[in-house]
Amino acid sequence: MSVRIVVCAKEVLDPDAVNNYALEGRLEIGADGRTLTQTSIPRVMNAYDEQGIEAALRLREAGLACTITVVSVGTADGSEILKHAAALGADEIVSIPIDASTIDHHGIARLLAAWVRSSGGAGLVLCGRQASDDDQGVVPALMGELLDMPVVTVARSLASIGEGEMRVVRVTPDGDETVEVSCPAIVTISNELGQPRYPTMAGRMAARKKRATVVPPETLGVADLRPQVMLARQFVPAVKGACEVIAGATAAEASERLVARLRADGVLRA
Amino acid sequence: MTGVVVCTWGMGRGGGPPTGTEELLTLGRKTARALDAPLAWVVLGPLPNDAAAIAGRHGVASVEHVTDGRLERFEADVYVEALAQYCRASSPRLVLVSQTHDARLLAPRLAGRLGATVVMNAIGLAAGEGGRLQVTASAYGGDTRVVYDLAAGTGWVVGVATSVLVPEPLADGAGAAPVREVAVDLASVKERIRVIARAVTEGPRIEDADIIVAGGRGLGAPENFRLVQELADALGGMAGASRPIVDEGWTDPSRQVGLTGRITRPALYIAVGISGAGQHMVGCAGAKTLVAINRDPEAAVFRYARYGIVGDCLEILPELIRVMRT
Repeated sequence: MSVRIVVCAKEVLDPDAVNNYALEGRLEIGADGRTLTQTSIPRVMNAYDEQGIEAALRLREAGLACTITVVSVGTADGSEILKHAAALGADEIVSIPIDASTIDHHGIARLLAAWVRSSGGAGLVLCGRQASDDDQGVVPALMGELLDMPVVTVARSLASIGEGEMRVVRVTPDGDETVEVSCPAIVTISNELGQPRYPTMAGRMAARKKRATVVPPETLGVADLRPQVMLARQFVPAVKGACEVIAGATAAEASERLVARLRADGVLRA
Repeated sequence: MTGVVVCTWGMGRGGGPPTGTEELLTLGRKTARALDAPLAWVVLGPLPNDAAAIAGRHGVASVEHVTDGRLERFEADVYVEALAQYCRASSPRLVLVSQTHDARLLAPRLAGRLGATVVMNAIGLAAGEGGRLQVTASAYGGDTRVVYDLAAGTGWVVGVATSVLVPEPLADGAGAAPVREVAVDLASVKERIRVIARAVTEGPRIEDADIIVAGGRGLGAPENFRLVQELADALGGMAGASRPIVDEGWTDPSRQVGLTGRITRPALYIAVGISGAGQHMVGCAGAKTLVAINRDPEAAVFRYARYGIVGDCLEILPELIRVMRT
């Protein structure tokens, strides 16, 4: 029997580009006081979600009979992320169009859960551990409650061990933990999974013909999408910047002065 | 809905409360005052040493000790249900947890089960307008801060990045707080996640290190990470790493410091060849003294540092090792 794998993917501002602006001290917030304005920042698929797709592809390659569906809520018009998912090998791509600024993560979880239910359910739901824009990482757990599925977080690898059971290696502060869970289940994927692949030329060609299934949110029967979490403001934090530069004619001299300062402060034992 | 609840589980060093508890109690006390609500400290499972005394120093009205044989150690389904039962019985307005790996799952599951509103990565809380809660949180890996308004009328569950907070016990703290035993019924809960092999801590954890020397891409090549380890050894500390070099396999993921790695708060943190990306600084901003060594005088890491050396880390590291060894 084939397992339906659903991968949830979010479109985000490229965090590396955001970070480069931040490192240069040039990150700007718009007149609304809420959103980043630099139009040169590309919109990309959340990298953890891309690793979710990679995890699904690895399960298929390991011999699991499955279909892979990639779904995205609130993706901007003309977005390439679902095309990218198709090029990587998704069998089906699904868009739930809605103005992302009008809903919160509770609404997104409700829409995703309602869509999973109404579209035939899922044996396995894979999500990135968090989105690189808001870093919240709560949608998988909220979906777990709505769909009554167990949620295994921060996976570095997962394997099907037959009879609808998955074995997951989780990254924890104390080291790796191995767990087993019965499907249907939700698993969140972390960067420790390793680099996701690039689409092949053949994959890109095939993806050109693939159209996303568009599911209007109002058809999903979610009663209340009013946000419980409202973004009021966003700002770039001021950092105190009280750094004392330790100079020296040579590396040796600077090093000696630094150690002397740390000893004088009592940070290092004299 | 009434009080503010700080919820913890597990133990820290020496059987005391887990890391971040006093920071969380401090934030809980201030928020309870702002909301004009009483503060309770809910402990799931075994009670840490000195809990009642610590609670007294933080203005906790009651330590609510939720006990059950199945709460000996964290298991997601059991813990979520235990806390949900407590919340249904006592209807807190706000539940605060310190943002550990386990809390990142527990908090949103709890909110989902209770129909409450959840936000993670919080670093500040305030009473908002119209009965709302205002939460300041980090976003974009620490590059920005966001201020969220949480709707009135629902309960709130907030995950707090306690590593950037400072504990402030009351100067005139009362004596020990009363401890109330709370029973829950977990008989019908089936734990759906079966642990096959537990994580085994191999040697000391970087989270507990007093001195950390961390390396980044500025080291230039994988083999140069050895210098970071040597300086850490010479200082009696541990070696850490930024995410890019962990992703490229220069060192083990257990050394990764940052938002998606380890959150550390050592006495001394020496960042070598690390640019100072927000997502890394989240993991070391709690250091008492931060030293930056970087070739680029404009590197963001210098904005966080107490001391800095501008120069080639491959020249400076061997000298620091030499000075420390003599």
